[in-house]
Amino acid sequence: MLGRLLLKSLWRQKSRTLLVLLSVGTAATLISAFLSIAFTITERMAQEMRSFGANIILVPKAEPLEVEIAGLKYVAPEEAAYLDEPDLAKIKTIFWRHNIVSFAPFLSRVVQFQGRPVLLVGTWFEREISIPEGKRLFSFAGGSKREVATAKGTFRAGVRSLAPWWQVEGRWLREGEEGILLGSAVARALKVGVGSSIPLSYEGKLALVPVKGIVRTGGSEEDQILADLEFTQKLFSLPGKVDKIQVSALATPDNALAIRANRIKPAKLSPQDYETWYCTPYLGSIIYQLEEALPNAKGKAIRQVSEAEGAFLAKMRLTLVLIAAVALFVASLAVMATMVAAIFERRQEIGLMKALGAERSQVGFLFLLEGSVSGLLGGLLGYGAGMALARFLLARTFSMAGAGVALPLEWVILPCTLLLAVSVALLGAFFPVREAMRLDPVRTLRGIG
Amino acid sequence: MVPLIVLKDVIRDYNGKVRALDRVSLEICPGEWVAVMGASGSGKTTLLNMIAALDQPSSGLLLVDGIDLVSLTEEDRARFRREKVGLIFQQFHLVPYLTALENVMLAQYFHSMADSDEAAQALGLVGLEDRAAHLPSELSGGEQQRVCIARALINEPKIILADEPTGNLDAKNEDVVMGIFQDLHRAGHTLLFVTHDPHIGGQADRIIELNHGRLLPATSHAEGEPPVRALRDIA
Ligand SMILES: Nc1ncnc2c1ncn2[C@@H]1O[C@H](COP(=O)(O)OP(=O)(O)OP(=O)(O)O)[C@@H](O)[C@H]1O
Ligand SMILES: [Mg+2]
Repeated sequence: MLGRLLLKSLWRQKSRTLLVLLSVGTAATLISAFLSIAFTITERMAQEMRSFGANIILVPKAEPLEVEIAGLKYVAPEEAAYLDEPDLAKIKTIFWRHNIVSFAPFLSRVVQFQGRPVLLVGTWFEREISIPEGKRLFSFAGGSKREVATAKGTFRAGVRSLAPWWQVEGRWLREGEEGILLGSAVARALKVGVGSSIPLSYEGKLALVPVKGIVRTGGSEEDQILADLEFTQKLFSLPGKVDKIQVSALATPDNALAIRANRIKPAKLSPQDYETWYCTPYLGSIIYQLEEALPNAKGKAIRQVSEAEGAFLAKMRLTLVLIAAVALFVASLAVMATMVAAIFERRQEIGLMKALGAERSQVGFLFLLEGSVSGLLGGLLGYGAGMALARFLLARTFSMAGAGVALPLEWVILPCTLLLAVSVALLGAFFPVREAMRLDPVRTLRGIG
Repeated sequence: MVPLIVLKDVIRDYNGKVRALDRVSLEICPGEWVAVMGASGSGKTTLLNMIAALDQPSSGLLLVDGIDLVSLTEEDRARFRREKVGLIFQQFHLVPYLTALENVMLAQYFHSMADSDEAAQALGLVGLEDRAAHLPSELSGGEQQRVCIARALINEPKIILADEPTGNLDAKNEDVVMGIFQDLHRAGHTLLFVTHDPHIGGQADRIIELNHGRLLPATSHAEGEPPVRALRDIA
């Protein structure tokens, strides 16, 4: 009976219910969009801290000479400097060797396919490497020593552990295999599928290579052709060379010391600070140690984007909170105005309910329930709109992939939004409903209430 | 017989100026059918509201079914209303967006539990079984009043209070509604209803008349046994 009463009365006051839905919905849209953006950004930053994907990139100290032709970068080979593939294993010998989650080498050149330029990238997909014996004792100025447990056995490197979200249709390439994986965008553009062979030409050399799979990565690799490192080294006549290494390392967020170390040269830190810094897994100290291990390499953190996002969010947070608060306030005013009108119009009905023996609390419950139900509906609508808004904003403002972006923690945002929406509706309903509870049935039934 | 309703020197003042009821003393026995008559503004509705625990005396004694209504809290008065009385209004006061059946169920809902079978049965008693799904706006005045009666009966109250139940009805519908009241009376219900029509009032066991809030002495249309009671005895 309660359900029928509720639905019918809400339905009868369609325009009023709509108004409440709209005002609560608007507030809920802002709230859920804001929560979602805040969560997404924080989540993304946290993900990077957990090194989900590479957070360090190592390149040769001597920058290769790049020539840009038609939007693609061509590298003059004789001028380019390279890193040596056999040195890669040294990455697992640094002080913070246990924080190295994965790494992968890359060697890329623009090749021609049917007269069109496309980037061919050689890499390791999955490679078991045996960990070399690393230094165990690290001594510091003042004679203090730190011991690191040596990593033993083998280590699984390659893009599959570096970027575990990559997906392949077909199969991955085996070590040393002469085949290629097409980025999904390339496959679409070239209209080539798994199983066919395509001719790639590079500086007069022509190779007919079978397509073993098509990869989706959500990143720029979809516009590239991937191959085993050895294959590209042969094709480019660069045996044992790589031009980039991506490393995924577990790092602690920077604190004052880390920021100072990034600004001045670490060597200029006091011996004490230096030791503390060196023995804390800041991104900066890990890079420093990687550069020690690979003297030809120069390390860079790839985190600038998310830091900018974080700073932007921090600035925007107050604005967003204010907007949301105003929206909530306005929504509850709208609910209040609507409720006052509704209760005035329905005072005879309220009088009747009381004459039939309804207690104050029952009358109040009924109207508060009406308020909460429309609040809940408004919250649901607002949640849907808010998620769409969040996607849009994230895509525009934070340049995250558009509709494909998976918003995390939606199961937290939904109840939060609904709770707020219902609270707003109840807040707006509070005073009018109190009046309703006080109505005198005798007067209202006489039509003078 | 112990009277079901007892009023002793009941006074009801509005704003200290208008005296709607002026020292009314009255006893009504269980099963009795009493018609309340009097000019407009003489206090008939006020009297009914007193007995329904909708209104409270400014002074005086008011006992219904052994309960002292003067001393009740608002919550207790609500409970008294849903348990002891069935109310019928001249303006029907049906909830416009609920069907006939749901209007009856509303009274059940506040009383205890809504039960659509029982509510349908009550509509059957007033001859509206096939109108259960209609909205009040889709019913004639007489049908609406019958829904109102079904609603008043649904919780099996001891007392049925009707304020000009036929006031808005034409002669034909009036007969139908009065027929229902006669059935209720025959079934032993205690009925108190307000009317302006002496013909309608004449069907009751007893007529009481108000004049400027005062009860006129010994007004009754019939000596001894009321006609309906007599009919029942014959049957
Ligand atoms: N809320 C109120 N405030 C002031 N005076 C009131 C109020 N309610 C009723 N009265 C007055 O009390 C008196 C009795 O009113 P009541 O409604 O009981 O009369 P009634 O006999 O039912 O009249 P009618 O036949 O017109 O319905 C009238 O004079 C009326 O104006
Ligand atoms: Mg009246």
